[in-house]
Amino acid sequence: MIDQINSLLPQTQCGKCGYRGCLPYAEAIAAGKADINRCPPGGEEGIQALADLLGVLPKPLDSACGEHKPRAVATIIEEDCIGCAKCLAACPVDAIIGAAKQMHTVIASECTGCELCIAPCPVDCIEMREIPAESPVLAKRLKPLRAELARSRYELRGLRLAREEAEKAARAREKKAALLLKMQATAKP
Amino acid sequence: MNVGVCYAEADRQTWLRLEVPDDSTVQQAIELSGLLAQYPHIDLGKQKVGIFGKLAKLDAPVREGDRVEIYRPITADPNQVKRRRIDG
Repeated sequence: MIDQINSLLPQTQCGKCGYRGCLPYAEAIAAGKADINRCPPGGEEGIQALADLLGVLPKPLDSACGEHKPRAVATIIEEDCIGCAKCLAACPVDAIIGAAKQMHTVIASECTGCELCIAPCPVDCIEMREIPAESPVLAKRLKPLRAELARSRYELRGLRLAREEAEKAARAREKKAALLLKMQATAKP
Repeated sequence: MNVGVCYAEADRQTWLRLEVPDDSTVQQAIELSGLLAQYPHIDLGKQKVGIFGKLAKLDAPVREGDRVEIYRPITADPNQVKRRRIDG
């Protein structure tokens, strides 16, 4: 059931629902802990789809979570970017390329429009730019493809961050073990 | 193994996925990707490279799932930009 609910969410990973991503929100809905009207990017259409799946009545979007907006992508104002890397850490789908003191650039085709990179930027150099609307037919076809792409990149990022964390912990353990050995060696008479 | 090679400019971004031999380096992945033909003005002697937001050397090994990235320098003076914001 969680997977079915998650497949109806836009995979924006924006957290506007109050959960850390689309999957945690899907889990909360499945557990009966969250209402179905907390996803602004999904909009009325998304709420209707969730209502149909769960056999409940749709209800208006919870305005406390935000409003449904036309699709937009983040854009970096290059003359102001100082290469601080804060937006890289904020992007849930690795849609920003850059490194410390290097220019940061949003890969427009990969951006889910989650807006999570906006607030961390210390020089306010990221803005959302609306994308020209597609024809309804094309938009309907692309929607699930975009969601699938975003979901897979969100998951891959999660795996990568977990791996980096594990490697860091392993290095710390090795360092500690080496230090202990050294201390034992010097402590011997 | 599968890796990505990525380069981005303000109005055009490219993220290529390709298969490279297991012992490939950052430089080999870039060369194999064909990205340099799409952006002939890239100068690997001057532009820094990295993997997923962390600077790396051209001879560093790449691993499965890595995204090799070629960067551009920033154009802003960090002190100027920060000051302007405080000024409002």
